[in-house]
Amino acid sequence: MFLKNKPMWGKRTKLKSSYDVVIIGGGLHSLATAYYLAKDYGITDIAILEKNYIGFGGAGRNTAIVRANQRTQYNVPLYKEALDLWPVLTKELDYNLMFNNCGNLNLMHSEAAMKAARMNICTAQFHGVESHLIDAKEAKELVPALNISEDITFPIHGAMFHPPGGIVRHDAVVWGLAKGAAKKGVEIHQQTEALDITTKNGKVESVKTNMGTIQTKQVMISAGGYSAALINSMLGIRLPISVLTIQAMVTQPLKPILDHVVSSGAYHCYANQTLKGEIATGAHMDPWPNYTTLNTAYYIKHQAEALSEFLPALRGLKFMRIWGGLADMTPDMAPIMDGNDQVEGFFMDCGWGYFGFKSCSAVGKYMAEFIAKNECPDILKPFNLKRYQDHKLMGETAALVNYSPDN
Amino acid sequence: MNRFNHLPTLKVDSASKIAFVYKGKKYYGAKGDTIATALFANGIRIFSRSLKYHRPRGLYSLDGECSNTCMEVDGIPNVRCENTLLKDGMVIKEQNVKGSAQNDMMGFIDKLDWMMPAGFYYNTMHKPAKIWPIAMKQIRKAAGLGTLSPDFDMPGRYDEIYPTADVVIIGGGPAGMTAAIEAGKKGLRVILMESRPWLGGCFEYRSREYQNRQTLNERAHQLANEVNALDNIRVFTHTSAVGVYNNNLVTGFQIGQEEDPFTERYLEIRATSIVVAAGCIERPLIFDHNERPGVMQAACALRLAKTYGILPGKKAVFSVGHDFGLEAAIELHDLGLPIACIADIREDGQDPFLMKRIQAKNIPFHKGWVANTTHGQKEVKAVTLSGIDGLITKKVNCDLLVASAGMTPVTGHITVNQGKLCYDSHTNFFLPKEMPEKMHAAGTLLGLTDPVSIETSGKLAGLKAAFDCENCSIKDIGDAKKELEALPGPARGSKLVTAPVQGRKSFICFDEDTTIKNIKQAIDKGFDVPELIKRFTSAGTGPGQGGIPGHNLPLYVAKYQALQDISIKPTTVRPPLVPTGISTYAGTNHKMFKITPMDDMQRKDGGIFRNIGVWQRARYFSSDLSCKKEIENVRSNVGMLDGSTLGKFRIHGPDALKALQRVYVSDMSKVKEGRIKYSAMCNDDGCVIDDGVVVKQGENDYYFTTSTGRAGQTVEWIRYHTRYDGWDFSLVNLTDSMGVINLSGPNARKVLEKVVDIDVSNEAFGFSEYKAFKIQDTIPVKAMRLGFVGELSYELHVPSSYMKAVWLMLKDAGQEFNIQNFGVEAQNVLRMEKCHIILGQESEQRTNLLDVGLGFLWDRSKTDTKTVGTVALRQAESDQSRFRLVGFEMENNGRAPRDGSLIVDTKVRGYVCTARDSFSMNKAVGMALVEAPLADIGTRLEIFEDECGDERIYGKVVKMPFYDPSGQRMKM
Repeated sequence: MFLKNKPMWGKRTKLKSSYDVVIIGGGLHSLATAYYLAKDYGITDIAILEKNYIGFGGAGRNTAIVRANQRTQYNVPLYKEALDLWPVLTKELDYNLMFNNCGNLNLMHSEAAMKAARMNICTAQFHGVESHLIDAKEAKELVPALNISEDITFPIHGAMFHPPGGIVRHDAVVWGLAKGAAKKGVEIHQQTEALDITTKNGKVESVKTNMGTIQTKQVMISAGGYSAALINSMLGIRLPISVLTIQAMVTQPLKPILDHVVSSGAYHCYANQTLKGEIATGAHMDPWPNYTTLNTAYYIKHQAEALSEFLPALRGLKFMRIWGGLADMTPDMAPIMDGNDQVEGFFMDCGWGYFGFKSCSAVGKYMAEFIAKNECPDILKPFNLKRYQDHKLMGETAALVNYSPDN
Repeated sequence: MNRFNHLPTLKVDSASKIAFVYKGKKYYGAKGDTIATALFANGIRIFSRSLKYHRPRGLYSLDGECSNTCMEVDGIPNVRCENTLLKDGMVIKEQNVKGSAQNDMMGFIDKLDWMMPAGFYYNTMHKPAKIWPIAMKQIRKAAGLGTLSPDFDMPGRYDEIYPTADVVIIGGGPAGMTAAIEAGKKGLRVILMESRPWLGGCFEYRSREYQNRQTLNERAHQLANEVNALDNIRVFTHTSAVGVYNNNLVTGFQIGQEEDPFTERYLEIRATSIVVAAGCIERPLIFDHNERPGVMQAACALRLAKTYGILPGKKAVFSVGHDFGLEAAIELHDLGLPIACIADIREDGQDPFLMKRIQAKNIPFHKGWVANTTHGQKEVKAVTLSGIDGLITKKVNCDLLVASAGMTPVTGHITVNQGKLCYDSHTNFFLPKEMPEKMHAAGTLLGLTDPVSIETSGKLAGLKAAFDCENCSIKDIGDAKKELEALPGPARGSKLVTAPVQGRKSFICFDEDTTIKNIKQAIDKGFDVPELIKRFTSAGTGPGQGGIPGHNLPLYVAKYQALQDISIKPTTVRPPLVPTGISTYAGTNHKMFKITPMDDMQRKDGGIFRNIGVWQRARYFSSDLSCKKEIENVRSNVGMLDGSTLGKFRIHGPDALKALQRVYVSDMSKVKEGRIKYSAMCNDDGCVIDDGVVVKQGENDYYFTTSTGRAGQTVEWIRYHTRYDGWDFSLVNLTDSMGVINLSGPNARKVLEKVVDIDVSNEAFGFSEYKAFKIQDTIPVKAMRLGFVGELSYELHVPSSYMKAVWLMLKDAGQEFNIQNFGVEAQNVLRMEKCHIILGQESEQRTNLLDVGLGFLWDRSKTDTKTVGTVALRQAESDQSRFRLVGFEMENNGRAPRDGSLIVDTKVRGYVCTARDSFSMNKAVGMALVEAPLADIGTRLEIFEDECGDERIYGKVVKMPFYDPSGQRMKM
């Protein structure tokens, strides 16, 4: 801490005319993939192209919740690994990612919801992830501010308690990974916009940018909410992705009152207290596809109504900031990770919806393996694009997802 | 302290005392005081300690741009005391201090700033890993300002209103009022929002001459009177506009006064046009110790005296960069404030009239000078001034330093509505470059300082707004434009951000204790755009958001990086533009559930209700949640269930059948009059989204039901899937207008025949048949013989208004059999024993028609109808890796597994959908979705329950249904 300040991700350099790997998007999945390519496979001739600045999109707009209590056996091991990686990365990157493993409390408001939660809990326990079904009283002991009376819109029946989850300082992950990647030689080009990918004989040939053309054999697009449009406009691949605006907000800072992440599907609301003391809350999505990060009046009011009911003490607080980000939703709430399929040398990592943050560490590791070995690791195989053509959805949510009439 | 009591500008009544408690002691303020001005009048100078360094903080501005005066008031944390009106009996406490704000034991941290460069958290406390959890606890304790008890109950009444207006005007200053008057005169409905308790804005507290010896204060009153005289202008004072959204939706909140029936109320206003005249706040001057109590902004000092009657100090130094600062100095001097000297950042360009007055009063004046640092332990005792090059310095004793670098336009309402700002070198403002559609800016936020110019800009904006409402000619606008152009334009703004200091103790953001040094550190580390610097240093993310650093940060970053003017970009402002209470946003917070016509009767009968989707339904009728009695009654006698939540639709017209063929998997042309057709709808992935029955009511006229959960989406679903066909049919959602009674059990016929006039014998009204008839020639009934629960059963669809009547008739008729209610859970078990599925319980998003064993519904021959989902079904037919729905019973008379348990071997192979200890079968049975290889009859299922550890329970796949496999009972 007493060292002189040096640029954390290297001095700005000029874009070269060729790279081994080009990654479009300067968010967490890109940075993590570049980091692991360099660290595990010694591939360092990489350019990350970011139109804005690193962490501009979802990486800097999420509410930083991490957990591994998903529904299917395809997802749980991936998220478990991601969860286990936070302390490892903190050490490797020598950058405090401020992992607060305070545990997640997912409220259930009906018998049916308790059943649905049990399946998640069984799946977690079967895979060695700690997760328990608890009743309303036990939930209240964990979060004294909880309202467990019958007299609310969705009375609380119980909760899924997942102790190993928590929150991570999302910006720190962006900067830490950028620092780690840059230190190993990865070039991060901010204010550099990828304009097109050219192919020849079904193989990637080059990437056109506003700073010149780059020759490369491998390119990955992981640009969060912008991925689907980029992939379609550059390569003509249509993805079953609806891009929705998701908003989050924080209250003025407060001394500790919430010791766990609390969330509720019925109320479309989660709340957690950041290390700075703010209550960060969000979750509901306006149900129309969108490409903007505009806020809506309805949303912040909805959030206030929800919190008023299940965490009524928070009525004494004030919201001070709301922001919006993009969630690229797939029909089965599971991502698309694929490569070398439609175009040789082209990889994609998108459709994360609102799970992009919690998965980034593990996904970076496996996408790096995919790119380096040109062979899809087993753990990523179920997430291919073809599953939609085969009408085999992954079952990450119990209920049908309905963003628009055509699903 | 003696307070002025004869100034025409005063808003306090010193004669009316208001008692309040501060730190356990009783104090008095005057009526009209804010909490902070009352405390200031009582000699309190240190209001709080800063978040990180615990530096003493005092009154700096009066508009709540920072957390300096945030305190706990009546148990509510983080109340901005400087603009919260004092009320009788208020209890005020300090926050985030060990000891008191005056003597805070945590104050030593201020000396440790060298240990805490920008982003130091990220580089510390993680080595070795085990210290982090300990450190984190301490961080959590240290962070945050106020405290809130987990059982805190926010007092007060919260309301909400949703008015519409032709023109909404944000800001009740001279420009806003003039705009309101112009639009009002045109007969438009105008809403004027002003956050202060009164209209007048920057004219209200000033005695400078407007025209013809009229003061600005008098002019403000004149304008306010004109506004109030127009009935079509609705004035909301105490009302902040906090958000502006697409298509001119303005949100805000009003703080209730004594006479109001609400504590606060949320406003959401849809306007045709908006005028933003929110004025300016002051841009802080940055120098060492620039936030020590005793340093305040010019308007704060002036308003303390003129609005609240309090002289802000005993001896003052001014370090300002604008004429308003000079004007404030003169006015305060005239009120008796000794002024040691005025340092003006500007080398030239001062208003000659003001200069003459300063000279006449013999106030020492230094051009091109600036405050460099303040001295004093906790409060200002002296200030060192220097030339802006920092070469010559001079120390002056004082207890008040009025410091203000320039003005900052309040443009948040424009940018949150997607207006674009552009740096303007003349004013040093970020000025609106592209205004959003039907939104206009006026007043000082454009850089105007001349009173007549300010008003004329308001006039022009008012006329433009009227034009948006098609109520003003282009010519009028042109004239007003010319009028404005002839008047003095925007004033030149000073560019200085920081005094010539290193910046170790020069605070750019008060809330987060961010210094100039921190900003430099961040930039050196590669955080080269203001948005990133904001995130890394936290500047502008505290309770006051961008209020203090918002303007200075991009200016400073540009200066440090030596950027051209054109590349200076403002930081993003986000709603709410003023911190807004969760209770305020929540408003009246009403519950919104649909209830069936039988709701109150079912509750009287002891129904235990649950929220199921958008409905409230009776799930149980006794505290026995296994529903033994309810189930046995239906199996052996007769019961009634309120099924009114079922989706009910009529589709009619020449192409009605085509539409049904498109969405249902069966061949719907086979629907015969008088018979019921059960079928299902799939989505494009072949997944079952709905099942229900269809009956033919007449030529091209069908009535059909959907599951409760799908009722809301069905019309849209059918419209969507026929959108290119141009078919002629009408679709009516009858869900709310029709109720449903499910009469089930072996005695059901005996009950029904007492109520209806038609023959309901098995021969006349057989299983799977449909009849429409009237009860007592009056009540129309659609009756279906279904077997969802596996017994003789009639489903009676009755207009909602007759539901209670028919229900009571059946209840009366059933009395001799001891007819009973049954609820949703009993139905759930009854149908499970029959292996009748409920979508969502025996299916999930990936489950297709074939998986749940409903493949027999699919008519493969109707190829020309493009039935939704059939492409996927064809593909899935040969896929062995899919789930299959199976029935199972438990081994060795074991208990039923809990719903949601897994079927496993070394991997997850499926899961239990519904399983119960069946009273009818005397054993535990259930349904599960398992991978196809496990679906054969007799397969042993290994069941993994939550918390089972290494224990497993086992079941085996058996034939479905469990109960009455031949279906005799429902056909009897």
